[in-house]
Amino acid sequence: MSKEKYKLHPISAVINFVKVLKEMIIPLIVVIAVNGFGGSGGSGDWSSYITYGIYGIMLIFLLVSGIIKWKRFRYWFEEEELRIEYGLFVKKKRYIPFERIQSLNYTEGIFHRPFGLVKVKVETAGGGATKEADAELTAITKAAAEQIKLEMLQAKNKFTEPLDDSAEVQQVVKVERQSIFKMSPKDLFVLASTSGGVGVFFSGLAVFVSQFSNVIPYEAIYEEIVVFIRFGALIVALVVFVVLLIAWIVSVVLTFINYYEFMIIVEDEEIIITRGLLEKKKITIPLSRIQGVRVVENPLRQLMGYATVIVDSAGGSLAEKDEKIRLLPLIKKTKITPILQEIFPELQFDPILTKIPKRSRKFFYRLDYIWMIPVAGAVSYFFYPFGLFSLLLFPLSYGLGVWQQKTAGYYLNERQLVIQYRLFSKVMVWMEKRRIQSMTERATIFQKKANVSSIITTIKSGVTGVSTTIPHIEKTDAEMILNWYEPHRKISIEIEQPLD
Amino acid sequence: MRTEPINRISKKGLRVWRIYGVFQTLIALLLGIGAGVINFFTGEYIWLYIVDVVIVLIIAYLLIYLFPKVRWTRWRYEVREQEIELQHGLFVVKRTLVPMVRVQHVDTEQGPILRKYDLASITISTAATNHTIPALITAEADELRGRISVLARVAEDDV
Repeated sequence: MSKEKYKLHPISAVINFVKVLKEMIIPLIVVIAVNGFGGSGGSGDWSSYITYGIYGIMLIFLLVSGIIKWKRFRYWFEEEELRIEYGLFVKKKRYIPFERIQSLNYTEGIFHRPFGLVKVKVETAGGGATKEADAELTAITKAAAEQIKLEMLQAKNKFTEPLDDSAEVQQVVKVERQSIFKMSPKDLFVLASTSGGVGVFFSGLAVFVSQFSNVIPYEAIYEEIVVFIRFGALIVALVVFVVLLIAWIVSVVLTFINYYEFMIIVEDEEIIITRGLLEKKKITIPLSRIQGVRVVENPLRQLMGYATVIVDSAGGSLAEKDEKIRLLPLIKKTKITPILQEIFPELQFDPILTKIPKRSRKFFYRLDYIWMIPVAGAVSYFFYPFGLFSLLLFPLSYGLGVWQQKTAGYYLNERQLVIQYRLFSKVMVWMEKRRIQSMTERATIFQKKANVSSIITTIKSGVTGVSTTIPHIEKTDAEMILNWYEPHRKISIEIEQPLD
Repeated sequence: MRTEPINRISKKGLRVWRIYGVFQTLIALLLGIGAGVINFFTGEYIWLYIVDVVIVLIIAYLLIYLFPKVRWTRWRYEVREQEIELQHGLFVVKRTLVPMVRVQHVDTEQGPILRKYDLASITISTAATNHTIPALITAEADELRGRISVLARVAEDDV
């Protein structure tokens, strides 16, 4: 056991600096913009120099603190633990027992790649409550990363108890290491061009604009818009189109960069995902941590026969948004089953769904009328006659309701529950009974009269939970599902369990 | 047909909810007075005062009398060896099953009003969800917390 203390690669000082800068960039821009617009009165030049001086000092401070952070950071292996020592002003130490480490995630950013370095994130099962990953080694050589993995495996093998025969199983599994799924450039393009990234971009834009809302001279703009509209609807439409086109191109490029060379490997009871063009990411998910699998088809992709597969994984840290991991970002629907069957042999991937009774149909659209009636009424009254178009909301909402009712359904067998539903996109969720944290039967007064109720199941995803609803099924079926879930009523399953 | 869970929450819980109802009604009353004052200075419609008063009275009836009563009669719970079952709701009735195996920890909590009536609420947490039984006699809540914690430890874990 080596007790030599290791340092990170010096480049991590730069990475620390850039990381903090990136987090601060938007508030900084806003502050500068507001000062630039608001402070440029008769207050003189010297005050603006002071503000720039403050920014300058801040930058230098950030750079120095990045360097100090790097200087202070040490990690070493001792007594089957990964030990790190860090801290800017206060020296902190963190000891992580190897047996508790759930996964090591590697990322290669643009700063890492020229030097052959990786960023290593260490995740444990418990450390979800804290806002950061349990430990992060900003930049180390690939050889050093491999060494951590080796130390961890050694320590874990020592700890395997005689009860646990998974170690032997792992050795057998280790042989297969070919990739299960690789994304073709064509699929990548379809993914990029049909992604919801457009929406994300727009919401980003909206946020950006709202940051500036104090600064924008609305009245002047309003006047200009009036003139602008006189120019004709054609120009307006053209501008909207161009903006949309640019947003779309940006989202295509971003998706392309993020998902370039997407690949999955299953090894040692772990799924390993690698992706990325500029920043190469490697994510490891232990199969035992996966709580649920969902296939999502948005209507556009459904039309083209494509779907996305997402897995919910337990644990991880709050800061990370990867708890809903896109296992297959885009794939022809017909190709899903064999791949998923290979990764999750216990699940039943072509279930025959029990559909929702027809008399439940009204529950899918009726609630919308509560807000639609007053809105449509007011719009029709105040903007007569064009406001009457708002009445179109009713058939549209009815149509969506029928669509949702026709899509929804569930399937149940001894160990697993499959739910299919649609809000707008069609979603099918697989969950094992032992992964369901709690189950609720929910009935409104109207549902009770119609003798239907909904079932809400919650599984763990990341550090919190995610709920899925089977909408408006027969009351007897809902109770059957509750009985299925209730531990003491299914004695037969408890006898079966010791077998596996 | 599944049978309802057996246990009700403490009758004193109903009184506590009525007190909450009084507080909420006071807020409604203040708003109502505000609306009345505005009406006094701007409009001269007498009937608006009547609408104002009637709305506040309806809110008082619902929040102090009806809603607590319905909620209290609806609230049922049962702690069995393998699972916890809860039933509650006002317009929407919810029945929740939490297997003992999934229970991660149990907390009891007591605010100033609950303490005055010797009541406590008990919260059962799984890895992903929280479930609260709102008003139990303190001693009963403590006993239940202990029991759930023991049962949860005994239950075989398979995650």
